[in-house]
Amino acid sequence: MEKGKMEKERSKWFDVTDRMNQEDDVEFGRHLTYRMEKTPPQMAFFLSHYKFAAKLIGRGKKVLDIGCGEGLGTWLLAVECGFAKGVDFDEDSVGIAQKNWRDQRVEFKTADFMLEAPGTWDAVVNFDVIEHIRPEGAKGFLRRIGDNLAHDGICIIGTPSLESRKYAPDVSRAGQINVYAQERLEAEMKEHFHHVFMFTGNDEVIQTMSPRAADYLIAVGCRKRN
Amino acid sequence: MNEKEVLDGVVGTLGDGRKVLGKHWSFNLRNDPKRLGFVLSRYTFCAKMGCAGKSVIELGCSEGIGTPILSESATRYHGVDLDGPAIETAKQNFENEKCIFTEADFLGKRFGAFDTVISMDVIEHIPAEQEGLFFRTVIDNMGEDGICIVGTPNITASAYASPASQIGHINLYSADRLASVFRKYFHTVFQFGINDEVVHTGYAPMAHYIVCVGCYKK
Repeated sequence: MEKGKMEKERSKWFDVTDRMNQEDDVEFGRHLTYRMEKTPPQMAFFLSHYKFAAKLIGRGKKVLDIGCGEGLGTWLLAVECGFAKGVDFDEDSVGIAQKNWRDQRVEFKTADFMLEAPGTWDAVVNFDVIEHIRPEGAKGFLRRIGDNLAHDGICIIGTPSLESRKYAPDVSRAGQINVYAQERLEAEMKEHFHHVFMFTGNDEVIQTMSPRAADYLIAVGCRKRN
Repeated sequence: MNEKEVLDGVVGTLGDGRKVLGKHWSFNLRNDPKRLGFVLSRYTFCAKMGCAGKSVIELGCSEGIGTPILSESATRYHGVDLDGPAIETAKQNFENEKCIFTEADFLGKRFGAFDTVISMDVIEHIPAEQEGLFFRTVIDNMGEDGICIVGTPNITASAYASPASQIGHINLYSADRLASVFRKYFHTVFQFGINDEVVHTGYAPMAHYIVCVGCYKK
């Protein structure tokens, strides 16, 4: 290729990199780093769950993300929906989140959600949280979500399916003391919401197929009961 | 037992059912057989969203091609359509203790208080000035806790529609327009796209078909 032409393309690329160089570096903490190194496909479907939630919630909404970890999903919700707040009781993860995502559309707090004051959020989401809550505590958790929603707010809960657990690596199963079959998740959600819509996830695809063959469950609750 | 005997045993459990399709679906199957696949998949999505354990009304049921899927897990199903021969076919093929059909122009009429109101491939045939009447009819047929599911081809796909479709589609919607109409009547609205048999939440202008689910009526 002619030298002059090559240089022209190079300068075009530097126009791109000049813009990119203005961004601060994003840092992954121990959770996201582990995922990227050991279970990289999980990064893709974890983001697809957040994206699905963002699409259902829509734009111009305020979203509370419970168990936000390092806040990558919270940031996706903030960008897509307008505003998101992430809470997690892991101080280290919340610190990473606060460092990475400094923007008026997002905030993070180290806190135990169960002890926080109620709110009137448009949506409350939590992914990979409820399976870590003792079965006898899950009811209180769902009630607390209701306390944090506006009358027309929606709740989106994602959790691995019971059926998938026998194929999951040990590290993924660790601490999962309350794994749900779809029927139980739906039944418990219906105690707190008038309308419950159930979805299933395999890889990045979220649909309505048989829960027996689903890796992941997503429940959407609308119109909270009082 | 040889293979033939095994197979005969299976066939013997199938019974002697016969269904003769009406003009509408006979035309579709002869001219575009793949259509049946994606039409049924849209009904499957409706069934998953709002039919299990529910009473269901379908406004614009035509020959009742969606009735078996919608009624499978429902407590009861009522199909309504203004096309007399289509309703006659629906009755012959699908009427049973759970499913009934009525020949009527449903606009402005009340058939009961249903848990779920479904209307697929209907709204694009209704003149824009009757949109309000259509949605009031939906609301009038819905119980306090009812939900509504409406599906229609995306206006962005109209350039690729068959000539027969193009003649009938007098009021095509974009995803945004359908969702904004829904928001007049429902507190909570979920918007989906369907391409082939796959339901998704991807970039709406590239969806072939659009579906809105509304709940918590205003």
